[in-house]
Amino acid sequence: MTSIVLNTLGKGLVTEQVIALIKGGELEVINTSDMKIAHCMGCNLCWLKTPGVCAIKDDYEGIIKKLVKAENLWLVSDTRFGFVDWRGKRVMDRIVPMLNMYVELRNGLERHELRYHSMNFGLLYKGQADQDFLEEWSRRVASNMAGQSLGVIKMKEGESCM
Amino acid sequence: MHVVIINGSPRVQKNSNTDKIIQSFGKGLQASGATYELYSLSNRQEWDAAREAFIGHDQIIFALPLFVECVPGIMLEFLESLPTERKNPAQMSFILHGGFDEGHQFRLCERFLQSLPVQFGCTYGGCLIQGGSFLIRFRDDEKMKETMAKKLDAYIKMGQSFVSEGNFMTEEARKFIGYEKNPWIVHLLFLLFIKRLVRKNFERFAQQWGCTRPLDDKPYLRTIIEQ
Repeated sequence: MTSIVLNTLGKGLVTEQVIALIKGGELEVINTSDMKIAHCMGCNLCWLKTPGVCAIKDDYEGIIKKLVKAENLWLVSDTRFGFVDWRGKRVMDRIVPMLNMYVELRNGLERHELRYHSMNFGLLYKGQADQDFLEEWSRRVASNMAGQSLGVIKMKEGESCM
Repeated sequence: MHVVIINGSPRVQKNSNTDKIIQSFGKGLQASGATYELYSLSNRQEWDAAREAFIGHDQIIFALPLFVECVPGIMLEFLESLPTERKNPAQMSFILHGGFDEGHQFRLCERFLQSLPVQFGCTYGGCLIQGGSFLIRFRDDEKMKETMAKKLDAYIKMGQSFVSEGNFMTEEARKFIGYEKNPWIVHLLFLLFIKRLVRKNFERFAQQWGCTRPLDDKPYLRTIIEQ
């Protein structure tokens, strides 16, 4: 099981700490704070003009290329207002090219088709947040990718490293 | 009543479905004697003015599309730049919309929006929700145009209702979404008929945009095979 871990917390987070929390399998941690990543601008081009290819030419294209080969996606994020903060949400909003425009019924729900394959989703978070809310969000995100939620894990403050 | 409306969509204003919803809603506000000012977060140059308006006024509405089961990242970034305490009381309300048409698709985001106002020292004025907005932008035949004109007209009524009721905590606003979950007959029709029709529509829109590849193309899989 190949896992891609998108770490939006910054370099301080040591890879071993993530590995200790995410048990098993091959795992690659990508530090997105070092990367140039813009907000999804909702232009629809990745669904209707250049299927699967984002119109924004920045470092996220490299992430998509890795996701195509991964089974699990983990987000490591700080939190704000009880939810993941904008840095964490930003890398999730850009996931759209992994799906396509077509709509199907999956487990009785209207969903977009997966462009490549199903993927599981999990979340590691820092700070004060609504655990129950994040678990529901994780389940819903996973459901959009036709996968399972891998869980929502609160990181101990020491584990985020200064 | 004077309302500050902030468009939380990252899409440029001229293509923004959220903007079209706001324009209709705004007509309703004006028809009932209210005024409004509008800021679009897709334009960074409007952020300072939007922040000032948020601080200085007492009726604030955020209008936003559903993005990955919650608020778009760009709106979260703006919210983080706002002061969390305020001198004068204000009400924060929301207009939430998205492509899918069933109510349950929006409930988690709605729950998040409910939790926001108190974190800025504001009261919650409710959340007006409606789905099926994809075709606001893509409508190329008379039937679609008619459906969407009706849809946008409904927002004019809700603008009037917002002025008379003072918020979206009404039965009318609660029912605005329609079905929480489509009846089984709609799902059956989808599988038998609608799905194919919708696919054809998408393919036609893509053609109009100059798309030359199949919509379910797997561009990066080719890269792997070539490696």
